Amino acid sequence: MSIKATSTDGFPTSTSRSQAETESVLLEHLPDPASSAATPVLQKNAHMQFLIRNLVQGFPTRYISQDASQPWLLFWTLQAFSVLQVALDPGNKQRCLEKIMAWQHPDGGFGGGPGQAAHLLPTYAAICALAIVGRPGPGGGWDEVDRKKMYAFFLSLKQKDGSFLVAHHSEVDVRGIYCLLTVATMLDILTPELVDGTAAFIASCQTYEGGFASASHPPFPVSGSVLPPPAPRPPLGEAHGGYTFCALASWVLLRPYMEQTAEPKPEIDLKNLMRWLVHMQGTEIELGGFKGRTNKLVDGCYAWWCGGAFALLEALGLGGIQNADSDEVPVDSGVAAGVWDDVDESLFNRNALQEYILYAGQHPAGGLRDKPPKNADAYHTLYCLSGLSSAQHHIYPSRVRKSQVLEAWEPSGWSLLYVPNENARKVAFAELLSWTEEEGGSHIVGGKANRLNATHPLTNLTITHTEALTAHYYAQKVPERIRTAPKADPAA
Amino acid sequence: MPSKAAADTPLFAEREEWADVQPLEQYEGVNPIAPIFYSPEYKDATGYFRAIVQAGEKSARVLELTENIIRQNPAHYSAWCYRYETLLALLPPPAEDADAGAQPDIPPLLAAELALMDELAVTFLKTYQVWHHRRLLVPLARQPRRELAFIQRGLAVDAKNYHTWSYRQWLLAACYGRGAAADPAMPDAVLDEAAGVWAGELDFVDAALAQDVRNNSAWHHRFFVVYGARGQADSEAERARIFRRELIYTKQNIAIAPSNPSAWNYLRGVLRETNTPFAAVQDFARLYAYPHSADETRDVVDLDNPAPGADAELPCVQAMEFLADAWETEAGAEMWKSLANEHDTIRRQYWEHRIRDAHQTIKPAVE
Ligand SMILES: [Zn+2]
Repeated sequence: MSIKATSTDGFPTSTSRSQAETESVLLEHLPDPASSAATPVLQKNAHMQFLIRNLVQGFPTRYISQDASQPWLLFWTLQAFSVLQVALDPGNKQRCLEKIMAWQHPDGGFGGGPGQAAHLLPTYAAICALAIVGRPGPGGGWDEVDRKKMYAFFLSLKQKDGSFLVAHHSEVDVRGIYCLLTVATMLDILTPELVDGTAAFIASCQTYEGGFASASHPPFPVSGSVLPPPAPRPPLGEAHGGYTFCALASWVLLRPYMEQTAEPKPEIDLKNLMRWLVHMQGTEIELGGFKGRTNKLVDGCYAWWCGGAFALLEALGLGGIQNADSDEVPVDSGVAAGVWDDVDESLFNRNALQEYILYAGQHPAGGLRDKPPKNADAYHTLYCLSGLSSAQHHIYPSRVRKSQVLEAWEPSGWSLLYVPNENARKVAFAELLSWTEEEGGSHIVGGKANRLNATHPLTNLTITHTEALTAHYYAQKVPERIRTAPKADPAA
Repeated sequence: MPSKAAADTPLFAEREEWADVQPLEQYEGVNPIAPIFYSPEYKDATGYFRAIVQAGEKSARVLELTENIIRQNPAHYSAWCYRYETLLALLPPPAEDADAGAQPDIPPLLAAELALMDELAVTFLKTYQVWHHRRLLVPLARQPRRELAFIQRGLAVDAKNYHTWSYRQWLLAACYGRGAAADPAMPDAVLDEAAGVWAGELDFVDAALAQDVRNNSAWHHRFFVVYGARGQADSEAERARIFRRELIYTKQNIAIAPSNPSAWNYLRGVLRETNTPFAAVQDFARLYAYPHSADETRDVVDLDNPAPGADAELPCVQAMEFLADAWETEAGAEMWKSLANEHDTIRRQYWEHRIRDAHQTIKPAVE
């Protein structure tokens, strides 16, 4: 098959010029199909060395720009290890724990560094890092998170349009809402009061293109009273991969609480969203990588923000194992094999995405990147790996697993906050734990040696870490999986 | 206020006027893991900042200190936040007898802050905080015109900057949107210029698309201006006039460069917003969805259906997809097949999904 350059229609502009430059660079990274390099290798060892260097030696001076993102630097590094199937030794885990707990703010939440103001983004990163290196009991971190104060911090950021500031005197955007909802779900501090109006805010961020914007403008003046509906709530900014992931994940996390919202129920246009996501995948000449906006360039991190979003669509009934997942059929009934079409129901090209990461995303000196000839960095290392992992494995919300978790629910389960709706709490728990790896559903380009750990589509932690942390805060047991568990997770 | 780079100025530890403050070191533990190697200047300034925050001091020198940190690390949101609180503490309170609808005078301190932000926003274009700080200053200064002019300069540097465009949209909605008229604090002078400002935005988009017709941020801005920010026009006739204007505008831009997903997405957006079936535009899309034909006639100029130029690379996949979506019939399925097998193979699975999906909805209708 010949590889076609993106059409310029004889009318070049600055967009088409940088597109053409990128295409020629990417083409150089596509090996001759006849050569031995045609089997791409994930340079796990080189990436591990890159991560170890950051962890042990530290980050060079240019990382001062990320001084207010210290929890992110640690989360990106730790989670990249987990995806690479590597666990830290107890000594290093303890050093990480100490560092993380120094970010907790005395008034709740976590800051970007010791003594920095609490902020939703580092709060997510710190809790996720704790999921990886922490444990229950004294000195283990999990019981030292002040959840009451965190809840108060979350509530203090709430706006009357259902959105949240990312920090006091700071901006509203859907990244912050995703971080808040993920943490609140895992820590069992999600309440109807906290998320009242939030789904409607998320819905208002969807643009005509189908993807989501950073935020929307509230339907009332900056100062003064609320306008009578229906006032416009226009999205601010165009559809964007990062915001789309955050909005979609928020939407999925809000579902257990949506039944309670007042009419009219907020809606999103799922088909338009699916179409937009599908169109973010670059063509063959872009090696099948994803871009973050229409007419922008492909970038490795969107392998996760856009590629990873397809698993979330499945939770809303689009793509994947449709209508009746094979799980619904008892494994030993002998029916499973023949009844369901052996169609790959993926909506995007998983193999091509893997090739983008393997051919273009890897820096020869270790670590992963946006695109050649850029340098590797901690952020792109994680999101390229997570994206690659999500393209390798098929993780789906299993109804069987969900009902199994619901059945195992201990009504004595102790909750930190008042529980006006025990059922929503229970469903939120069961839905987070319902995500399951489809057995035999992995397609690993380059062979088994390139296999990565699966990540949870909502948290971007491993499924094991997500379940252990969440069950701890809900005081529930994680029921054993009925069918053989996903391949052993050495990071657990 | 110094605007020199931090490297040229003495450390705070060496300054007489800071001698009364004991800097606070960042907690690092005994054997820190994954440390950042700070420069001496950064360590110095942030040490004093932690001390100031702890003491709760909100004085003029805090502005100097936070500016110093921001220049070294514009993403230091705690420094921005504390700077804002300090500004609020130092600015004179609004005059008691001031007319609610009047344009406020700009105190020198605020004027200096605005000037500093003009410099920093262009230097640190990609930082959330610089844009948010500007946003916080708008209700204090209430000079949105000035901001619109500034944004134009920012976009000249980076025509697709997400923060810059969303800031412009926020500004328009906040100061000239439907909510602004109900805002008792909005100066009358600002409200009076609203109609002119919205009309000017269309020219602004025009200019951006004349520069680069593939700039998706500009297309999105057009949608925001025409439909998003104020909703649809009240009168039927006005709605029809706008709809026709948008269709012609989009088709003409598609004719210039057909394989432009931004323009096709805009077209879809307009049709959806106005509840117009895609089929209403199928004659236009047909001109682009097939290879050039020998009997193409370009001498007939049809305003409603401008034809592709000789350089257009046809068939245009966006036109093919548009037609298939408009039809959703057997003919549509043929188009999807052609996309899946030949013209847009990377999305084969999606096109096949569409075919299966359409079959499910077509079948019951046939039976
Ligand atoms: Zn990136």
